[in-house]
Amino acid sequence: MESNKKYWKGLEELNRTPDFVEKNKNEFAEPLPIEDVLSEAGLSTVTPRRDFLKALGFGLGAVSLAACQTAPVHKSIPYLIKPEEVVPGIPNYYVSSFNGQPVLVKTREGRPIKIEPNPNAGGFFRGTDAQAQASVLDLYDVSKLKNPVLKNAESNWAEIDKFVTSELNKVKASGKKIRIVSASVNSPSARNVIADFTGAYPNTKHVQYDAVSYTGIIKANENSFGKAVVPKYNFDKADLIVSFAADFLGTWISGEEFTAQYVSNRDMKSLKNGKMSRHFQFEAAMSLTGTNADTRVPIKLSEEGPALIALYNALTGAGLSGGTLGNNTVADKAIKLVAKELLQNKGRALVVCGSNDVSTQILVNAINSAIGSYGTTIDLDNPCKRFAGNDAEFAEFINEMNRGEVGAVFVLDSNPAYDTANAKGFADGLAKVGLKVSFADRADETASLCDVVAISNNYLESWGDANSYEGFYSIVQPTINPVFNSRQAEESLLAWSDAPVKEYYQYVRNYWEANILPAAGKTWADLLQSGVINTPAKPAGSYTFSLSLSAVVPAVLSNSKSLAKDIELIVYESAPIRNGKYANNAFLQELPDPVSKVTWDNYIALSPKFAEELGFKEFDVVNIKDDKGYSIDLPVMIQPGQAKGTAAVALGYGRTKSGKCGDGVGKNAYPFTSFTNGTTKYTTTVKLSGTGSREELAQTQTHHSFEGRNVIREATFEAYKKNPAAGSGNDHAKHKTYDLWDKYEKPGNNWVMAIDLNACTGCGSCIVACNVENNIPVVGKDEVRRRREMHWIRIDRYYSYNVESGHDEEGAAGSGGKHSEHSAGISSVTKEKEISHLEEKDMNDVSVVHQPMLCQHCDHAPCETVCPVLATVHSSDGLNHMAYNRCVGTRYCANNCPYKVRRFNWFNYWNDSRFDNYLNNEFTQLLLNPDVTARSRGVMEKCSMCIQRIQAGKLQAKIEKRPLKDGDIQMACQQACSANAIIFGDGNDPDSEVSKALRSERVYYVLEEINVQPGIGYMTKIRNTGTTVHA
Amino acid sequence: MSGHKESILREPLITGRDITYAKITDDILMPVENKPNRAWWIGFIMALCGATLWVVAVSYTFWFGIGAWGLNKTVGWAWDITGFVWWVGIGHAGTLISAVLLLFRQNWRNSINRSAEAMTIFAVICAATYVVSHMGRPWLAYWVLPLPNQFGSLWVNFNSPLVWDMFAISTYFSVSLLFWYTGLLPDIATIRDRATGVRRRIYSIFSLGWSGSVKTWQRFEAVSLILAGISTPLVLSVHTIVSMDFATSVIPGWHTTIFPPYFVAGAIFSGFAMVLTLLLVARKVLGLENYITMFHIESMNKIVMLTGSIVGVAYLTEFFIAWYSGSEYEQYAFINRSTGPYWWAYWMMMTCNVISPQLLWFKKIRTNIPATWILSIVVNIGMWFERFVIIVTSLHRDYIPSSWAMFYPTWVDVSVFVGSIGVFFTLFLLFLRALPSIAIAEVKLLLKSASEQSKMEEIREGHLNKEYVAEYIDSLNKFDSVKQEEYAKL
Repeated sequence: MESNKKYWKGLEELNRTPDFVEKNKNEFAEPLPIEDVLSEAGLSTVTPRRDFLKALGFGLGAVSLAACQTAPVHKSIPYLIKPEEVVPGIPNYYVSSFNGQPVLVKTREGRPIKIEPNPNAGGFFRGTDAQAQASVLDLYDVSKLKNPVLKNAESNWAEIDKFVTSELNKVKASGKKIRIVSASVNSPSARNVIADFTGAYPNTKHVQYDAVSYTGIIKANENSFGKAVVPKYNFDKADLIVSFAADFLGTWISGEEFTAQYVSNRDMKSLKNGKMSRHFQFEAAMSLTGTNADTRVPIKLSEEGPALIALYNALTGAGLSGGTLGNNTVADKAIKLVAKELLQNKGRALVVCGSNDVSTQILVNAINSAIGSYGTTIDLDNPCKRFAGNDAEFAEFINEMNRGEVGAVFVLDSNPAYDTANAKGFADGLAKVGLKVSFADRADETASLCDVVAISNNYLESWGDANSYEGFYSIVQPTINPVFNSRQAEESLLAWSDAPVKEYYQYVRNYWEANILPAAGKTWADLLQSGVINTPAKPAGSYTFSLSLSAVVPAVLSNSKSLAKDIELIVYESAPIRNGKYANNAFLQELPDPVSKVTWDNYIALSPKFAEELGFKEFDVVNIKDDKGYSIDLPVMIQPGQAKGTAAVALGYGRTKSGKCGDGVGKNAYPFTSFTNGTTKYTTTVKLSGTGSREELAQTQTHHSFEGRNVIREATFEAYKKNPAAGSGNDHAKHKTYDLWDKYEKPGNNWVMAIDLNACTGCGSCIVACNVENNIPVVGKDEVRRRREMHWIRIDRYYSYNVESGHDEEGAAGSGGKHSEHSAGISSVTKEKEISHLEEKDMNDVSVVHQPMLCQHCDHAPCETVCPVLATVHSSDGLNHMAYNRCVGTRYCANNCPYKVRRFNWFNYWNDSRFDNYLNNEFTQLLLNPDVTARSRGVMEKCSMCIQRIQAGKLQAKIEKRPLKDGDIQMACQQACSANAIIFGDGNDPDSEVSKALRSERVYYVLEEINVQPGIGYMTKIRNTGTTVHA
Repeated sequence: MSGHKESILREPLITGRDITYAKITDDILMPVENKPNRAWWIGFIMALCGATLWVVAVSYTFWFGIGAWGLNKTVGWAWDITGFVWWVGIGHAGTLISAVLLLFRQNWRNSINRSAEAMTIFAVICAATYVVSHMGRPWLAYWVLPLPNQFGSLWVNFNSPLVWDMFAISTYFSVSLLFWYTGLLPDIATIRDRATGVRRRIYSIFSLGWSGSVKTWQRFEAVSLILAGISTPLVLSVHTIVSMDFATSVIPGWHTTIFPPYFVAGAIFSGFAMVLTLLLVARKVLGLENYITMFHIESMNKIVMLTGSIVGVAYLTEFFIAWYSGSEYEQYAFINRSTGPYWWAYWMMMTCNVISPQLLWFKKIRTNIPATWILSIVVNIGMWFERFVIIVTSLHRDYIPSSWAMFYPTWVDVSVFVGSIGVFFTLFLLFLRALPSIAIAEVKLLLKSASEQSKMEEIREGHLNKEYVAEYIDSLNKFDSVKQEEYAKL
């Protein structure tokens, strides 16, 4: 039943008085003055006091409410229409290439955050170098220009195009020359674009030069064999490697690849087969390669030529004059030994030389021919295409400009106003050019001299390709839309040459579909999946050097003679920031030099005794002055192994317009180079004088000897062959240890690691890989100087001196047989106090060992017991966890860590304007890996064994309903390592790679005697010293 | 206690003529009941400047982060924990004097225990500030307490010596405070009874209704004894546990079983030195020479000498054991201490702590006030260096040579430490103005039995062995507050 009960509100309603009925018709009890207001009269109606107050109240309230809106406006892009392939939280990988190295680009939610090696690459492209790892930071560099620049003012592409085409037409009409100057271009499509451009403007010539030039090798090969190429070197096929100052594991040609080749004859697999290559290094400055040599002989720069002549004479029995090494008896003896061994290893040996002098390289060709390298260790038929620079053409180009013959210059991927011997000549000449266009991404030294800066894309925003070797092609594909208003250089050139296809994507695709893909039988889609096309290599021909050396030898000798005065200086490519191109990359600036461990600076390296003789102490700032009058002030770095009488300074520093991170870091050493005999020469003579000031370099390691501690264990190859456990401490019974603690149960996985000290070359790409993967802050020079760098993995580098026994027994005896039993009569001195008493003759033979050091994930971790708040605890899969949120920052754990691998956030590095190296802006923060927390100040951190990767791997296996496979999970450091020196995996799985590795007789655990039960096993360093060469 | 006559052979604990109970009260309450003199103001302003510096330096650290200090990846503790251990050590004398000496019925403690306990409390406050300020995230300092929380089942790590430390320090602080305050009650009541107006009301509240009845006194004695019993183990436990911060670690130079006794001896050593530093000045400025006599000074000097020697033996033992252990890391740590880059700190420590207290074998030096005062400061400098040597030189070169580093303090490190001394003196000087610096009631206990005038009375009575009397009079020679002429008349 429906309730019809009605309640009345008053007697009026009950009685329904006429008055009430009338009023009830209206919605409001009192009539509203709407009509009045709307009519003309409204304006003149008297507003009652109450209405006024109401209006006032409402108005005030409304305004205050509106003003109370404090929520900041976030401009976010909703996934209203979700891109098909983007799943938040799941990374996407794209194949690409960096400097010709095939890579995988990891993107998250559309932004590239990490570079990884492309597993399809094949060959010896196993890891990536530090520069590739760090390159992703360049994408988010705030020092870049955001819009193209026309005559020093921001502009737009329509105006730029209008200006450039009209100017180009003027130049074309005038008949003046057009020059495209660039670093070596190894992209086939780009070369084709330049060819098309040349077609449109026939006066165009492409001038290639490299800041660190290989013209000497190219010219020498042209001279010797009629092939103007950088050959393909096969270090993997060489059982004996002799290098004259070629830093082939570091900066020379293709360090990462050579590392993989080199290590394949020296790592644990090779050793297990009883095989290890032998490596001699003759050099003045201690290079990364020199630190890895079995026998390293310091020679002066002026002795390099005579040494090569002596070697040639010894090999061939020729009697070329000048092959005497004067009083460097050690080198003399070494050359004879090398010659003997080279002849024994004919066809399995390789001699390389870092010189850029054509005559010297011809001599090296003759030597290689004599030992049968061509066709085996040197391949001239599948040459390396990375370098094609021609120093002479570049020098001529400067002359052309200065003569006023050039109407237009396009600067592509190079910075000649900074990185050339004659930068001033270039700048002067450029001023006489009508149209100056730079494709730089920032107003660098050269771009700031140009009319137009047609900002080009970062490679992560670009289409493109690379051709590292004959027949080996890789693709570059964009992983993000251009962040700024930039346009790829190739696209700009296409636009200006009015090419039929203006879109570079289509252009590249057309080029590949026409020229590369059909031959390989692949499609464009295949290419985008695999990233590389590797056409079968041509058979490497055997070449014989048959020319006369009569013209070469005098040139080599006169070059040597010109260096034999004052102090011989070599300028070399910096290992972290290379030729200066990466100067604004904070990760690379903070990556310590693999040898000196110096960050954020260059310096002058002098040998200990030589510095003492000159009266300089470490960090004294000295003035370096050459014949031409160029001088710079740099602090002294004492470098063991540096040849006496020589000095070394790194290139790539002293940039003035690289950006906020790289400007003013170090001093520019390019003016010390010169254009001599058709190539750029990187050696000169200088005078040094003290300035009286002192500047402490920011080093990540300041103690350089391992004090005879068994932290480092090594053996000679001879000893290893007799007993694989030699030097590892495994060949006698181990001390039994007892525990107070319960053993941890590790029911599932037990994550452990093995590090092969014989594979690790110390290059440091793992450090940068770890930095990028784990959001590790860059702290800057001052903080590094205060010993506060945050790197989770570091490479410890120790020097020891090999002296004749009997000279200093104490040195070798201290550690009770833990040392390598050197060849008879030689012992190594590793203690600081003994080193300080060594005489000069004993300081030439320096051995170096590199030891990657990271959290050892000890089973009995000393850090865990001391944390008052349980912020660092052990997991059931063998890891030592760090709960940042729980950490209160007592630093007790770091104090109690015997390996000193814990890192403390002394400041809020990622958000403190005093440490604005790169990350203190919202844009660059896009680089951060969203899987890893950015740590706040006051919190301890350390290697987590890439726990995010472990979790992701487990998750993936779970989704696919399968158990984890060995190799599913890779550490960032492991992945980047070209040498395969780091192996990670499950120790509970007896068949895993890491378990197999850890069963090696060479394995030892650092500081195992204090029973912290570390989870990382190291394999002994083996040196193939053979017969030693002591004076 | 005061019923029997003390042997004439014992030196007097109160000197001076015409000392009455009333005079004792007047003398001791002089600084509390009168306006401060110039010396106090000068000291207080200097101390306040120091305290301000502390506030600035600690605020700076809190604002920017611990990076303001000179620490690095290798040396994670330096001036902070050095300062912490130094202050805790200084805080040791208070309990030893108030508890252990009470249980051993060493009556001479009655004149110095009040100031020593006050010093303890202020020193522990200074130490506690370091506990908080050395943390990376000091606002979370309470996480080291085992508090029920909403973070899940998060608990503290009972394996960590820092947690033991937190218990040890907080227990020590609360027991010391309680003991000190209990002892103060009759004296506060005395001030209350003599005061008027607001002062009276304030002291009235703090005297907790002390009536002075026999029952009150009896309970007071009982409580004092019980608290002394509770405090005695703390004398050993606090620094034992502080030493375990180091001893339980794996760092060579820290991982040492000798640390607990060695630290306790060192703490008493530095504590007595600090008591001397303070009281030698206070007794002069406040005119308390009759209550803090040469006997007290000499007794304390003897303790300093003894504990200094124990510390010296400990240093040598460490060296011996490092050699005997055959552990290369341990051996290196100790060779590095004495000959490494921080050799000067080590030899500073050895000179100040081992050599200088040996001077106290000479009675001339032991009873010379300026010499004693200088030595007391030298000892505390040495003890600061001891902690610096243990902490910094052990850490800066431990196992892996690649990580060896040097530590250089910043202005903030120095300011926090200098500032903490300012905080300490500010508190101590305020204490001198607000509360009696000598336990009035306890000193009064000694008047009839152990004062110079009571002994003189005995001598006058003439029943004593002449030789003993002669020896007694001879012992008075060293007292700067005794006039020898009067004895000549006897």
